[in-house]
Amino acid sequence: MNIIVCYKFVPDPEDIIAKPDGSISFEQAEWVISEYDLMAIETAVQLVEAHGGKVMALSVGGSQLSNSKGKKDVLSRGPDELYLVIDDALSESDTHLTAQTLAAAIRKMGEFDLVICGEGSADLYFQQVGLQLGELLGLPTINAVSKVEVADGKLIVDRSLEDEVEVLETVLPAVISVTTDINQPRLPTMKEILKAGKKPITEWKLSDLELAGKAEKRIEVLNVRSPKQVDRKRIKITAKPDEAVQTLIGYLSKEGVL
Amino acid sequence: MAVKDLWVFSEKTSLQAELLAGARTLAEATGGGVAAIVVGDETSAKAALAQGADKVFWLGEKADKLVEDFVPTIAGLVQSHKPCALLIGASKRGKAVAGRLGAALDTTVITDVKKFFVEGDVIQASHLIFGGGAVRVEKSATETMIATFGLGIFEPLAADPSRQGEIIQVPFIEPKTRWTLRERKPKPPSTVNLAAAKKVVCPGRGLQKKEDLDMIFELAGLLEAEVGATRPLCEGLDWLPRERYIGVSGAFIKPDLYLGIGVSGQAQHTVGITESRVVVAINKDEEAPLFAQADYGIVGDLYAIVPELIKALKARK
Amino acid sequence: MEEKFDVIIVGAGLAGSAAAYKLAKEGLEVVLVERGPYPGSKNLSGGVLYGRVLEKLIPEYWKEAPVERYITNQIISFMSENASFNIDFRSQVFNEQPYNAFSVLRGKFDRWLGEQAEQAGAMLVPGIKVDRVIVENGRAVGIAAGDEEMGADVIILADGANSFLAQQLGLRGRFNPAHLAVGVKELIGLPRETIEERFRLSGNEGVAYGLVGFATRGVAGGGFLYTNQESISIGLVMHLDELIETGLRPAEVIEDFLAHPSIAPLIRGGKLLEYGAHLVPEGGLAMMPRLYMDGLLVVGDAAGLSVNNGFVVRGMDLAIGSGIAAAEAVLEAKKKNDFSVQTLGVYQRLMAESFVLKDMQTYAGAPDFMKNERLYKVYPEFLASLMTAIYQHEGVPKQHLLPMVMQSLKNSHLSLLALAQDGLKGVRSL
Ligand SMILES: Cc1cc2nc3c(=O)[nH]c(=O)nc-3n(C[C@H](O)[C@H](O)[C@H](O)COP(=O)(O)OP(=O)(O)OC[C@H]3O[C@@H](n4cnc5c(N)ncnc54)[C@H](O)[C@@H]3O)c2cc1C
Ligand SMILES: Cc1cc2nc3c(=O)[nH]c(=O)nc-3n(C[C@H](O)[C@H](O)[C@H](O)COP(=O)(O)OP(=O)(O)OC[C@H]3O[C@@H](n4cnc5c(N)ncnc54)[C@H](O)[C@@H]3O)c2cc1C
Ligand SMILES: Nc1ncnc2c1ncn2[C@@H]1O[C@H](COP(=O)(O)O)[C@@H](O)[C@H]1O
Repeated sequence: MNIIVCYKFVPDPEDIIAKPDGSISFEQAEWVISEYDLMAIETAVQLVEAHGGKVMALSVGGSQLSNSKGKKDVLSRGPDELYLVIDDALSESDTHLTAQTLAAAIRKMGEFDLVICGEGSADLYFQQVGLQLGELLGLPTINAVSKVEVADGKLIVDRSLEDEVEVLETVLPAVISVTTDINQPRLPTMKEILKAGKKPITEWKLSDLELAGKAEKRIEVLNVRSPKQVDRKRIKITAKPDEAVQTLIGYLSKEGVL
Repeated sequence: MAVKDLWVFSEKTSLQAELLAGARTLAEATGGGVAAIVVGDETSAKAALAQGADKVFWLGEKADKLVEDFVPTIAGLVQSHKPCALLIGASKRGKAVAGRLGAALDTTVITDVKKFFVEGDVIQASHLIFGGGAVRVEKSATETMIATFGLGIFEPLAADPSRQGEIIQVPFIEPKTRWTLRERKPKPPSTVNLAAAKKVVCPGRGLQKKEDLDMIFELAGLLEAEVGATRPLCEGLDWLPRERYIGVSGAFIKPDLYLGIGVSGQAQHTVGITESRVVVAINKDEEAPLFAQADYGIVGDLYAIVPELIKALKARK
Repeated sequence: MEEKFDVIIVGAGLAGSAAAYKLAKEGLEVVLVERGPYPGSKNLSGGVLYGRVLEKLIPEYWKEAPVERYITNQIISFMSENASFNIDFRSQVFNEQPYNAFSVLRGKFDRWLGEQAEQAGAMLVPGIKVDRVIVENGRAVGIAAGDEEMGADVIILADGANSFLAQQLGLRGRFNPAHLAVGVKELIGLPRETIEERFRLSGNEGVAYGLVGFATRGVAGGGFLYTNQESISIGLVMHLDELIETGLRPAEVIEDFLAHPSIAPLIRGGKLLEYGAHLVPEGGLAMMPRLYMDGLLVVGDAAGLSVNNGFVVRGMDLAIGSGIAAAEAVLEAKKKNDFSVQTLGVYQRLMAESFVLKDMQTYAGAPDFMKNERLYKVYPEFLASLMTAIYQHEGVPKQHLLPMVMQSLKNSHLSLLALAQDGLKGVRSL
């Protein structure tokens, strides 16, 4: 079976700097594969290992996607081919524009049986793109998938909701968004990293796709600020465990929280 | 704003009550009415009126359908009435409904809204991005803003069974695609309510094995505290149920005491504890970011500190 | 082993990347394995690169490479507890291309050199920690990471100061605290204009301080401060054995150092961007491992190639120089298709001829000289007391210099004989 896995390339959330004026900057940030998409990639790779076929990784975004280290990184995690849509207009895309672009790219990519998305992107975490994409492609789509099985052209999933697990079935092709605990992504091996450099990569611009007239955002960002910091006392106790604990208990009873 | 009505949809009654209360407050600013979209029996349609709706679009009973199967029906309604906002409960189901609706209506969704307000005559919503590293304020570029809200954003109003309103029955539109439900496996009911807890003991990845949670629960017992956790303990390691994790994708808490044990203090987690009165950190790494956001911190091995703390608290009793 | 390459290089620091660059340029199949997510991600050094050797590998590298400032001003500072005595050296020579030295930030610089190696054709494998060198019949034939193995005609170990791979192979003995120093470094962010104003720099000029005395609280070693474009690299290198003896913690020593009255104003208002600690080989020639065996060469810090005389910490240029020499040896071996010690031994000769070993020999006495307590405890006190005497005007007629010197000597419990001995030793070894 042919599986398309969608991943986002994002500034590492740990490298985001809150500036004194309240604005935020990720100029210094390292760009990485969105953490939760690693589970989506692993799901795709495991399914193809079990059923044969190939995995095509797909990402859309701004110029950061041209980063060769990023391309090698995703391919070293198992996908056979990489498709990228790189366009400045996509660098601060909302989920609408992203889903539209992904849908157009997928139509151009050809035959597929399953599209897999992550739970949410590490930067925006809207948990939306997979569902919107499914609807745009007119395919059955569902989120919170914590287990996948494929048998006779059917897809059977466990869907992990707040208070229950649903076991659902549909016919392929379909679009699913998987949870972060669906699997433990493997680490790339030396051989996979070396192989990654030789796998085929296809790059498109927005103008190569047929999404005429629809390439716009539906959200207008009014402002972005770092959250208010609470002033804390920051008293650090460095002492032998018993003394440290006594000191802490002293403070806490003074605070009236014991 | 041409149409000023605010609509609400959630398959969870308690969340629906909160959303209706929120919509009411906002409707005062927009000068519009509040409607609820209800899937269920007639009693639940009436309940929505009691919770604050002026009008109910009653889609009928769920029967063998999934709530998600009602997406085309809801999309049709929105298209013909064009409310200025549709507030959806941010459960997994709610997010699925919202996403598919967004695509069907050629728009998108703002998820996990923290603040919802009108400025000028524009509805604005703020939510966290970059794992809590930033707050972003947005507005919708289309007529109807679709947004999802978790628990605790609005205070529900007391139900008023005497409230009257219109109940409009809406015919079901068959969806193009369907999932068949093979089985439901209920999860054990969760009794934790972190949002309401007065004290929270929160272990992190500094804990080496699941059995070490015993010591954490013993400590929590002595402190009369709830046990929360960082995400890795609940997703990935699966030592604790998901309801127990605190942070941007989990619970937001406001206890008098938060005690983080072996928690590094990443923004995704700490945005959830900013409203705690007293924050305490125990970590063996004196550079751990949580210390900078704590009132008191002990630099040391939790396996030495926690047993001491248990001993000391027992001695006080 | 299923897969075999011409060369596998372990560690994409400057030594590893320099070797990879040269070998890939010559068309060899080179695999460069780095445990960090990218070259330089885990590297740390004070950051003055003496660049003449890199110029040989990549002409006019400074036009492309992410260098910070070229060093035009070298300051040697003797610090006592609350004073310091500086020797300030500026020369126009330093303003000319090819520049003598640059301040660099390793995170950027190593990454750049790694990219150059990749562009030259080397295959970079990041995120993989090599666990073991595979040896068959006394000959290195490959590497192992996790349960993977990979073969090559030659392995180059460029895995840095705590090269446990060289240790595993018995090329060097167990770590001896007497041969190691601990480097701690902070990177402090300041606006460009502030730096230029504070250090009297214009354009991309930079300053490098070497500081001894109270900087390390008397522990053998020294402090450094280098200006970057929008930050300052500041830190200490301290001998491990003395640190252990005195029980001082590097984090505390550096805190005091940064609070020193002659340092604090230089970094005032700055923002801590990075903090790190790293080992530095300090034994000089004494700790140098055997540099090769059949099928394997050792380069850079892994080979113990660094020089620290208190005022200058050097290792990056030696790393690059040894990387180039190793590459040349491998090319020679490839030509003869003989990767035994007989051919690879060329490396030792190339090194001996190059500045790398020459410098190591020149400074052979440095580690011992450096251990001289007086250098850190007594001289700075002596100089401070002397200078105070010279410059303090207390309304009494000034003495002649000699009596003042004698008084200062007395205050600092320094004997003339010891002074003479140190002077002699210092001149010989520095
Ligand atoms: C989009 C997104 C959303 C996320 N949402 C959340 C969220 O809602 N909630 C959440 O919690 N996380 C969330 N995360 C994950 C988050 O980024 C961190 O990975 C997580 O909070 C770290 O958990 P931790 O502090 O337990 O683990 P670590 O970061 O691994 O820290 C463990 C700490 O324990 C200390 N330690 C180890 N051993 C000992 C010992 N013996 N004694 C004392 N101390 C010890 C260590 O020094 C370390 O500081 C999210 C991430 C992303 C990308
Ligand atoms: C505080 C401090 C200040 C210094 N200041 C200066 C200075 O101003 N000027 C100067 O010239 N020198 C300075 N030095 C010395 C200089 O940093 C070193 O000599 C130089 O980095 C040596 O380069 P290298 O390539 O041999 O090793 P490293 O730079 O240490 O690189 C080794 C590489 O190997 C990788 N590695 C290690 N083990 C493995 C493994 N098992 N598998 C895969 N990869 C592995 C590491 O991640 C690393 O990238 C300083 C050092 C310190 C600590
Ligand atoms: N720019 C993008 N390119 C490819 N896939 C994406 C992109 N943005 C989001 N996705 C996918 O959609 C999922 C949900 O993203 P989000 O709705 O932004 O939380 C992610 O986990 C990815 O699988």
